[in-house]
Amino acid sequence: MAVLTTTKSTSPAPAPPRGRRGRGARRTPPLVLAFVLIPLLAEAVWVFWPALQGFYLALTSWDGVSAPTFVGLDNFREMAGDATFRDATWNTVLWLVLFGGLSAVLGLATALLLQQERRGIGFYRAALFLPVVFSLVATALVWQAIYQPDGVLNQVLESVGLESLRHAWLADRDTALYAVIVPALWRQIGYVMVLYLAGLKGIDPALHEAAKVDGAGPWQRFRHVTLPQLRSVNAVVLSVIVIDSLRSFDVVWSLTRGGPYHSSELLSTYMYSTAFQSLRLGYGSALAVVIFVLAFGVIASYLVRAFREAD
Amino acid sequence: MTNHQTSRRRFLAGLGAAGTAALLSGCVTSGSSGKSASGGAVTLQSNLSAPQAKAAMEDLVAAYAKKGTGEVSLNTVAAETFRTQLPTYLTSANPPDVYTWYPGSVADAYARKDLLLDLGEVWESPELAGYSKALNSLCTATSGKKVFVPTTYYWWGMFYRKSHFAKWGVSEPKSWDDFLDLCDKLKSKGISPIGLGAGGNTAWVASAWFDYLNIRINGADYHRRLLAGEHRFDDPEVRKVFDRWQEVLPYFDPDGTAVAFQDASTSMLNGRSGMMLIGTFFADAAPKDALDDIDFFRFPVIDPKVPLAEEAPTDGYFAGARTGRHDEVIDLMRYLGTAEAQEIYIKGSSGTVLPCHPDAGDAGTPLVVKGRAHIEEAAEITQFFNRDSSDALQPTADNALTRFIAEPKSIGPILTTWQRDAEKIWNV
Repeated sequence: MAVLTTTKSTSPAPAPPRGRRGRGARRTPPLVLAFVLIPLLAEAVWVFWPALQGFYLALTSWDGVSAPTFVGLDNFREMAGDATFRDATWNTVLWLVLFGGLSAVLGLATALLLQQERRGIGFYRAALFLPVVFSLVATALVWQAIYQPDGVLNQVLESVGLESLRHAWLADRDTALYAVIVPALWRQIGYVMVLYLAGLKGIDPALHEAAKVDGAGPWQRFRHVTLPQLRSVNAVVLSVIVIDSLRSFDVVWSLTRGGPYHSSELLSTYMYSTAFQSLRLGYGSALAVVIFVLAFGVIASYLVRAFREAD
Repeated sequence: MTNHQTSRRRFLAGLGAAGTAALLSGCVTSGSSGKSASGGAVTLQSNLSAPQAKAAMEDLVAAYAKKGTGEVSLNTVAAETFRTQLPTYLTSANPPDVYTWYPGSVADAYARKDLLLDLGEVWESPELAGYSKALNSLCTATSGKKVFVPTTYYWWGMFYRKSHFAKWGVSEPKSWDDFLDLCDKLKSKGISPIGLGAGGNTAWVASAWFDYLNIRINGADYHRRLLAGEHRFDDPEVRKVFDRWQEVLPYFDPDGTAVAFQDASTSMLNGRSGMMLIGTFFADAAPKDALDDIDFFRFPVIDPKVPLAEEAPTDGYFAGARTGRHDEVIDLMRYLGTAEAQEIYIKGSSGTVLPCHPDAGDAGTPLVVKGRAHIEEAAEITQFFNRDSSDALQPTADNALTRFIAEPKSIGPILTTWQRDAEKIWNV
C-alpha cells in the first residue's frame, strides 16, 4: 500500500519546490531516498551499531551483568601473552589452509569433472551439493556418531584389519582438529563446486575451440584458458572461504567445543567460550575484533589487488 | 498531492527519530529497567530436559493449575543452552519469571548483582518453617535476603549394578586399598573398572573426581576455600589430590573422555565398565527395569582424620528480580516448597532424588533409603565444583582435568595453567 501511494505521487509532474531551499529538479526523488535510507537504517540498527558496540566492549572488562569498566588496551595486552589465543590462532591458520585450500582445489576438481552435460550428471551434482542443504549442527551430530569410540569409522577400521588405528577421534588432541575439518570440508566442497560450475558455464566455448585449433593440450587449455577466465569466480570463492574459515564455529562447537583442552580451539570458539562460558565479554569482544581485522584484512587486500589487475 | 509529500516527509522524519531512539536504547551495555508483563501465567524456565524429569515437571505444573491459585507455562530448555543463556534471561527486559537452578554461591553471585527476587515472604510461610538450618543458610544471599526455594537434592556415589558385582564375585570396598584391589580384579576380568563419561558435552563430570579426592584428602573446608580463590590450584595440597588420582587412573575406561556420561552410564549398566562416580540424575535416562538393580557405595575414605564430607547438590528455584508478576511468583514458590509438590515431582521422575521438605516422602526404594542415610552420616556437605564456585570456573576445571587424564605426567604445567585461568575468572 505504502509503495502504491508513493508511486502515485511521483507520477505527475514534479511537485512544486517546497521549503526554504527549493532544490528544483536536482532533488533526489523521495522514493529513491526511502529505498536507500530505510535499509541503511535497518543495517545501522542491526549491524553497524552492534559492531561499534563490539569495538567499544573490546576496550572494557564486562561480565555481562554489571556495568562494563573501561580498561583501555588491556585486553589486547593480555592476548599477547595468552597461550590459548596463540594456539587458537595457529589452529585457525591451519584451518584456513586445510579447509580453505582443500575445498577450493577439490571444489574446482569436481566442477571440472561434472561440467559436461551427460546423462545422470545431475544426480552426481546433487549428491555433492546435498551436504550444503543440511544444517552444520545436524551434520555434526551425524559425524559425532561416526567418530564415537564404537562408531562407524572404528568399526570399518576393525573390519579391514586396522584395529591398531582405532581411536577416540574427537577426544585425542592429535586428531581432534583434523576430525573436525573433515565434516566441514564434506559440506564446503559442494558449495565451492557450484560456484565454479557457474563460472565454467560462463566461459565462451569458442575460446576452447580456438585453443584446440592452435594445438593446445588439455592441461594447457586448463592453465591458459579456463583458469584466467575463472578469475572473477576465484575472488568470490576466496572471500567465501576466508569468511567461512574464520566464522567456522558450529561444527567445531558441536563436535568438540574446542577441546580436548583447547586442541581444536579456533578463534571463533575461543571467542564464544570466553564470552559466554567464562563470562568475560570484554576479552571475548577483543577476540572478535581480531577475527574481524583478519577477515577484513585478507579480503580487502585480495580485492584491491584483483581490481588493480583488472584495470 | 502536496499533502502526500508532507506526510511522506513527516514519515521519514518520524522514521529517523524512531531510528535514533532505537540507536540510543539499543545500547547493549545499558541496563534496561523494563519489567515483564504483569498478570497471566507465570513462566517457568526449566533445564530439566531428561525425559522423565521433564514429564515430572509437566505433572507438577498440571497439579499447580488444578489448585486454582495461578497458572504456570513451562518452558523446557536444553541444559547447556539454559546455562549459557541464564545471565541473558535475568538481565533481559522481558524475562521468564521463575528458573530452575542452584542455591549457594551460584545464586549468591546473581543476588549480589540484584538480579534475584527477594523470597523472604515465601520462607515465612508455614510450609518452609521446617526446612533444615543448612538449607536455610544455603538459600540466603550475602545480603541476608532469601533468594532461593530448595526442593530436592541428590547424592553422588560409586554406582554399580548389584547383579554384575555378584556375577564377577566382587563386593563394595571399604577403604582406598580395597578399592584399588577391586579395580585390579575387574581389570583382570577384561572389564574397564571405572567409567567416566567426561566426553561429548559433559566434560564437567570429571570434576566429581577432583571434588571427591579433594574433600577426602584436604577436607570440605579447604575445598570450598580453594574454589573461592583463597588457595591456589598449584599448591602442594592440590598436587596431592592428583598424586592419588594417578593411582586409579590406569583403571579408568580409556574412552572416558570420549563419551558423554549418558553413554558411559549405559556402558556401566551393560557391564562393559564396572562402576562410575556419578550423581543419581543418570538414572533419569536409565531404563526403569535397571533401576532396582542399581546400587552404590561411598567414595572410599582416604584419610580417616578428615571429617566425612559428601557431595549432595540441592536443586530448586529462584525468580528474576525484574518479574512483573510478583504475587503470582510468590504463590508458585510457596507451592513448590510444599511437601505435596515435591512428592509429585519425585513420583514423576526416576525417583532417585530426595525432597527438601522434612515431611515429604521420598520414593522409598532401598536405593533412596540408603542414599538418605549416606548423606545423613556426612559431617559436611559440598554441592559440586560449579555450584561451590561459579559456572565460569567450570571450563577451567574441564580443561585441566581432561588434560590430566590424557597426560598425567605433565601435572605441573597443568596446575600452573589452571591457576592462571582461574585467576582470570576470579578477577573479573
